Amino acid sequence: MAEEDTTVKEPLDLIRLSLDERVYVKLRGDREIRGKLHAYDQHLNMILGDVEETITTVEIDDETYEEIVKTTKRAVRYLFVRGDAVTLVSPPLRT
Amino acid sequence: MATNPSQLLPSELVDRCVGSRIWVIMKGEKEMVGTLRGFDVYVNMVLEDVIEYEMTPEGKRVTKLDQILLNGNNIALLVPGGMPDEEE
Amino acid sequence: MSEQTADAGAAKTPADFLKSIKGKQVVVKLNSGVDYRGVLACLDGYMNIAMEETEEYVNGQLKNKYGDAFIRGNNVLYISTVKDK
Repeated sequence: MAEEDTTVKEPLDLIRLSLDERVYVKLRGDREIRGKLHAYDQHLNMILGDVEETITTVEIDDETYEEIVKTTKRAVRYLFVRGDAVTLVSPPLRT
Repeated sequence: MATNPSQLLPSELVDRCVGSRIWVIMKGEKEMVGTLRGFDVYVNMVLEDVIEYEMTPEGKRVTKLDQILLNGNNIALLVPGGMPDEEE
Repeated sequence: MSEQTADAGAAKTPADFLKSIKGKQVVVKLNSGVDYRGVLACLDGYMNIAMEETEEYVNGQLKNKYGDAFIRGNNVLYISTVKDK
């Protein structure tokens, strides 16, 4: 098969088709990152570039019992994601 | 390999449950009851007419499901015959 | 593949189930309790899942929508069919 295969036959094809695109990755511990997918392997270890990490924490106010949702963002130029921490990967919307 | 002194292999016991109700107790605060339709070497199971019980701090949460493939990874115990007081 | 005894004909193995639900509306529940509802595109032996028109529910509340989503198999608690409404 010489031509570029754009069909999704197995789940990892979805990742293959997202190479060099910005992807959204959800990780264990309520962590989310967005970045450009440079490389991945079968474990879903990934190399992402120009990454924005979002950390969400929920605290309960001691007096009012209201949930206080805090999100912290930080930017990372380049990072390695260990596959076993990944729960979900969503490629950019294709039209 | 050591010889198995028991008359029944664990997987044979599960195989005998195919077609009947089975109670699955997961690692963590979760239990499922359903009719076992089949399973594989990892004891991933196909269950039908499932009731899922989640023990939360707010109480027991019950979900009904038509047919599921349950990942064998998080199963702790299997009880043939189902749950004694299934209908809540 | 496991060799099923006696009632292999009647039994529905995980592999049979997976074949039967491709392209169907499903609910995927993760160990964390998060539910994903959408159309099952495909899956592999690790229970990695590709879904389309995916909706993410946390505690029964819609939190997110994704066009396509890859869900890593090790986090999957179950894959459930959805009764036609």
